[in-house]
Amino acid sequence: MNWNRIGAIASRKFASIRRDHRMFAFIIMMPAIQILLFGFAIGASPTNLDVITVGEHPIFSELEESELLVTHNYSDLQAAKEQVENGEAWAVIESNGSSLTIHFDASNQQIMQTIINEVRTALQQSAPSLSLKIAEPIHGESESEFIDFLAPGIMVLVCFMFSIILTTMAFVGERNDGTLDRLFAAGVQPSEVLIGHLAAFSFIIVGQVSVVIGIAVMVFDIPMHGSLLLLFSLGLLLGWAAMCLGLFLSTKAKSEFQALQLVLPIIFPVLLLSGILWPVEALPFGLKEFSMLLPTTWAAESFRSIMMRGWGLSNPLIWKSFIIVFAFGAVALIAAAKSLKVRS
Amino acid sequence: MAIRISGLKRGYGKIRVLDSLDMNVDEGSIYGLLGPSGCGKTTLLNVILGFLIPEKGEINVLDTNAHIPGSDVGYAPQELALYLDLNISETLTFHGRLHEMSKQKIEERGKWLKSFLDLPDFSRIVGKLSGGEKRRVSLAVALLHEPRLLLLDEPTVGVDPELRARIWQHLRTIADHGTTIVLTTHYIDEAGKADRVGLMRDGRLLAEEGPLELMDEHDSNSLEDVFLTLCKREVVA
Repeated sequence: MNWNRIGAIASRKFASIRRDHRMFAFIIMMPAIQILLFGFAIGASPTNLDVITVGEHPIFSELEESELLVTHNYSDLQAAKEQVENGEAWAVIESNGSSLTIHFDASNQQIMQTIINEVRTALQQSAPSLSLKIAEPIHGESESEFIDFLAPGIMVLVCFMFSIILTTMAFVGERNDGTLDRLFAAGVQPSEVLIGHLAAFSFIIVGQVSVVIGIAVMVFDIPMHGSLLLLFSLGLLLGWAAMCLGLFLSTKAKSEFQALQLVLPIIFPVLLLSGILWPVEALPFGLKEFSMLLPTTWAAESFRSIMMRGWGLSNPLIWKSFIIVFAFGAVALIAAAKSLKVRS
Repeated sequence: MAIRISGLKRGYGKIRVLDSLDMNVDEGSIYGLLGPSGCGKTTLLNVILGFLIPEKGEINVLDTNAHIPGSDVGYAPQELALYLDLNISETLTFHGRLHEMSKQKIEERGKWLKSFLDLPDFSRIVGKLSGGEKRRVSLAVALLHEPRLLLLDEPTVGVDPELRARIWQHLRTIADHGTTIVLTTHYIDEAGKADRVGLMRDGRLLAEEGPLELMDEHDSNSLEDVFLTLCKREVVA
């Protein structure tokens, strides 16, 4: 391993990246746009939900105050149900004196859950003598939203995805235009080429991870109970591991088109099997085990735990995540070095 | 002897490219590999560079045991093999650093190469140069670290006649100082300026001698005729 040569390769690559303004803008702006879109589109609580109340009940005035619901009071149950049937409202809440009956349009489960939550909260407020009491949560917020679950996963996805995209193209051009051969002819080792590229791209990763964490915490106001530095370190490590995987893919791709084709089958399993959109606990047997092999599963759960639970490095989940993500990157890097062989 | 190859066999998968090839290159000489495209010239260079492992045969380059001769070799591939987004100065600095040259040495050699190869202003971006200018920068990269062995794949394609003559003059000068040069070409007149010509066809050397000896031996007054005669004989055999 010759550090002079690695330095030369890193600074050359960095000069190329810096000179390409459009690409530079792309790699800093895209993660920002991505996380902004996710934050606005998914996970926030639905609002302006039309709900019809029938009769009189102490919680109805409470429901009128709700920020999510728009209540209409009807006296006729049949007329109210017709409104739900026609899609004008999501639910009818019928008062039978002391108890309540809800007739739902259950075609949208998220909206149904939201309405149930609102009714339950109203019940707690107006009739505290009820036998069910929800105390202040041990982790997270009592007004917890779906976005609080989703955001840490999306941050992991964005850090992972853009690091892969950044590096999959790395060697495609250099192999075809002969520049890589020239390096090898000069006696440069594949590992030196790889480390040089990693070093150059690291500047970008630092920027990307900062932007992603910054937007999540500042724009979307996702709770942050743990150490920002710890979160940043794990994000950075994940970015590096993803770059190593990207470099490996790059050694296999013979054209830009192939490189793109290799990225897609990685992104989807990561998105669907890492507990980013839905809890891993819901996966069927087999897929759950596979999910535990993905570094993103560990990173997503750790991001969530650092942000919501405020866990630190001493927690087994967190330190295991660091080890697993690191190991994944190391294996990918070794595979890349083996695949980028000079002699054949 | 700078390069000694005997009984070399190498292909890609089932395709046989080089077969029972023998080649001898003297130290401090210019060796011209002449042959039609697709005859295996570039594959042969890749074997000499250590990129391709021979299936059969002996190969010795510069008497080193290393698989890749490294800084002892200056290599200019057929493609330009330049980073189009760097300027000329950065290009030379980059390659100089790979060969662990000092900053001062890189600057010194850069100055000399600029005047010799008539390179454009060093702040120009390589991607914006003309084809001939790029070719010269590519050559400058191969010459930069004063290697013992120069491997040039079609070095004079797209270079005007005046500069081509100057390049040959320079190659002659450094050969006289002990540098060994192997170049591929399909310009027959150009091969005539080499000390030894390897006539290559279908992955084998049909003949390997000085251009004058070749013409004498086959009683003709051009290398072209020699090549055609040898090809015919090969077909008959």
